Amino acid sequence: MKKTSKGKSINLVALATVCALTLSLLAGCTGGAPAAASASAEASSESVAATAAPEASSTEPSASAEAAGMYYDAAATVESIVKDAAGKGMVGNWGLGNEYEIQALLSKYVQPTTFLSQAFDMDGFDDDSILLASAMTYNELGLVKNSYDGGYKYGDKVKAIDMNDEGVAMLEDNIFCTEAFAKANPNTVKAFLAASMKGWKYACENPEEAAQIVFKNGSSVSSEHQAYMASEVKKLVETDTKGATVTEYGKLDDAALQQTLDLAKKYIMLKDSVAADKLKAMTLDDIRDASYLAGSSSAGTPEKSSVSIQLKWLPQAQFMGYYVALDKGFYKESGLDVKIVPGGGDISETTAVYSGQVDFGVTWVSNLIAANAGGMTLTEVAQVFQRSGLVLVHKVN
Amino acid sequence: MEPNRKQDSNRLATFVWVLALILIWELGATLVAQTKRTPENVLPHLYQIVESVFSTKLVNGSQTAFQIVLANAGITLARAGIGFMLGAAIGFLLALLMNLMKTVEKIAFPYLMIIQMIPILGMAPIVLAVTKDIDKSRVIIAAILTFYPVATNTLAGFKAVPGEKLELMHVIAASKFEIYRKLLIPSCIPYFFTGLKVSAPMAITASILVDTLQGGGGLGTMLSQSLKHAMTIYVFWQIVFLSAIVGILSYHLMSVIEKLAAPHRWARKVKLDEPAQLDEPA
Amino acid sequence: MNLRSSMNPPEEISVRIAATQQDVSNPEAPAADRRRFDAENLTTLLYPIVFGVLILILWQTQVLHRILGADTFTLPLPGRILTIIADNAPEILMNARATAIVALTGLLFGSMLGYLLGVIAAVFPKWGIGGLTVVSAFNAIPIIAVAPILNNLTKDFSRDADTRSMLAKILVVTLMTMVVMSINAYRGLTELKPYSEDLMKSYAARRTDVFFKLRVPNSVPFLFTALRVSVPGSVICALVSEYFAEYIVGVGRQIRENIVLAQYATAWAYILTACLMGILLYAILLAAEGSLLKGRR
Repeated sequence: MKKTSKGKSINLVALATVCALTLSLLAGCTGGAPAAASASAEASSESVAATAAPEASSTEPSASAEAAGMYYDAAATVESIVKDAAGKGMVGNWGLGNEYEIQALLSKYVQPTTFLSQAFDMDGFDDDSILLASAMTYNELGLVKNSYDGGYKYGDKVKAIDMNDEGVAMLEDNIFCTEAFAKANPNTVKAFLAASMKGWKYACENPEEAAQIVFKNGSSVSSEHQAYMASEVKKLVETDTKGATVTEYGKLDDAALQQTLDLAKKYIMLKDSVAADKLKAMTLDDIRDASYLAGSSSAGTPEKSSVSIQLKWLPQAQFMGYYVALDKGFYKESGLDVKIVPGGGDISETTAVYSGQVDFGVTWVSNLIAANAGGMTLTEVAQVFQRSGLVLVHKVN
Repeated sequence: MEPNRKQDSNRLATFVWVLALILIWELGATLVAQTKRTPENVLPHLYQIVESVFSTKLVNGSQTAFQIVLANAGITLARAGIGFMLGAAIGFLLALLMNLMKTVEKIAFPYLMIIQMIPILGMAPIVLAVTKDIDKSRVIIAAILTFYPVATNTLAGFKAVPGEKLELMHVIAASKFEIYRKLLIPSCIPYFFTGLKVSAPMAITASILVDTLQGGGGLGTMLSQSLKHAMTIYVFWQIVFLSAIVGILSYHLMSVIEKLAAPHRWARKVKLDEPAQLDEPA
Repeated sequence: MNLRSSMNPPEEISVRIAATQQDVSNPEAPAADRRRFDAENLTTLLYPIVFGVLILILWQTQVLHRILGADTFTLPLPGRILTIIADNAPEILMNARATAIVALTGLLFGSMLGYLLGVIAAVFPKWGIGGLTVVSAFNAIPIIAVAPILNNLTKDFSRDADTRSMLAKILVVTLMTMVVMSINAYRGLTELKPYSEDLMKSYAARRTDVFFKLRVPNSVPFLFTALRVSVPGSVICALVSEYFAEYIVGVGRQIRENIVLAQYATAWAYILTACLMGILLYAILLAAEGSLLKGRR
């Protein structure tokens, strides 16, 4: 190291300059930030990058109202609850493609479609940083209500707003593959669907046993919660958005799919103009093909016998049908060797299927729509959940 | 200066610091325990984490929390190991290539930096499209994330060879191959190990990171499942501590390997470096 | 996207320093030969640019896709990416600003704290080194574990989600940059030129004089070494910490949203933004380093 002893002054100047530079950069940034934030709040109703609008005026009362009146009356209307929570900027959702129903509901009651990013636990709801939190009936809602390990023990002190009742339901868990795969392997698809639906039927008839099977197959969700989940998932599989019973498992309900597509077109905001145009022009025929399910009973020999399916989320009773079909040997009976790949990572099921890494996937219909708009060619071959499992949960006084 | 006594007092100081850290943690945990309904999600007491390690309660069909962590640590560390070796090899070869050809160095150097700046979320789908296999993709990404320190340090090693030594080699009309074999490569080894020491803990954090890309096995997958409350949150806390410990161990492992690989070099290095490491030169 | 720098125990840094200095001072090219030096500089700039343009051409003409076996969906064409950036410039800028605030504030606090730690360790070596060892252990914890912890810990800081998220994100960056700076600062404050301290002592210099006239100046190149690691690191840390933050804003969050929603072209627009931010900050740093340390070599 060569350095001169007169370095002190140079160094002080150096440090000062670096600090000043950084500070001025920062000052420039923060100076511009409020303007940008308000601009985003205005634009937010059209923006999928929903930035929660912080409203200084409304946070004040909620902070001071720690007393009994903080939550909602058991008899309060959905409209009043949604308006209040949205006004305070305290509606939560996980984002990442799970938010469209919430945005549709917010729009229904003429609120900005902004929300807070909710972590994948209910701590935010528990500590009141989120007043109206997203929850799946079969998962988070159970954790909030129940008192088993991991539960928040609220019992009857919480109520939920159901998306189906509000007419903003979008269909969730389906089975899909690429169009090319379906065309090249029709018998495999048919056989896979037949065996999977057999699994779902068995699981719905024996939810407790199904929960045990999932638990045995590597799920780490506690067995109590797993049993709760199985009983709730059964309802989603066997009831449609209108509340009517469904007997044909995996049926492609075109009316509900159309509602999903319509809502998706309204609330999936794509920055890419090519993708946005594609979304606008999309019809049901671009996203689903019912022929494989209908003809599934008369399947010939599978073209590809070793197949895999990636789940939408971590292994849990949400996917009990596949685990049951695997465990009970339904897949084997159909001449298939099936591998179940858990999801929940950042390589989404749509990407995994599209890239050919797995053959089938379970995703939400809205995610499939977004992926196809983005340029994938995926097709839904069965609709497992016949109604929306998403609710907004709130505490009652 | 007696190195042994110094080392002992160093150990003592580290120990005291660790104690202080534990104290701060516990104070925080006590505070959290009083204000939160689910304190274990925010900051559990350390004894609770230790307790969870020894708990015999099964959290899935067949394993306790700690068994899950251990089983998945095996998967992650195996991937980290392969990724690390791949990264080290790529790093060394790149450095060699850059030293052989100035043009390559000029072209590659800025881009090596830029590659490091691409978030793996962007990189992953491309690698996946190429390999069609998530586990291969994971190893490759881990390698991409770890080769940089090895490459830069090794290159620095090549450049640190004194000019007069090189001149001497030229004077005795040594071939390029001989210069590399007898002078450049041996003298860059300490630098190479320096790079390895930096990238070994990185390989482990990188491997945990790429686990989260998709389900399956691995510490990262369990970490994210635990965060998503699909299993007890203590799995998360155990992984936090395990990853820190393994990271530190991996660094020391590289030191040990260095010692084994080049004992005489190590001995010389210790003599040179030891005083400087502790205080001003004697 | 993890702590790139990772543990740089003192020993490593010195080697790196030696390397960089070797690199820059370039003993084989004496300053007298100006013209040759300029030519060197020119090619240093030109070669990567030519290479970059070549890659861009291969990319746009899809030759790159054929080599990699990717399609234009997973690796969108540059033209399309640029169109998206142009179409969404205000929003991208808004997100980039949020990320820049996090990265720079964290970098500033982290580096100052780190330097302070380094000073403490240099003044009280007996306790300081132990502290540095403990601090460097933080670097072995993946960010994806640190970010959620800090996010939870800062929940009570403010009722405004943006404020508390910002704090959590800044803390992640602070922690990472602090580690790198503290180790380098300590190294710079204690790794003196042989006998320079003895010389100072023979002048009967006071301890404070030794500190400010010898140690602090000596630490400046080390400071820049730390910044070379932590400037790109701070951007990456900011990106990752945004994944976990409550308030939805920032380049990192947008990358994740778009990748998960399979909007690769949009995601790449943000990836490009992130890279440009990193390169810009790094270039500023190199320029500052070049001009400030010029007379010293």
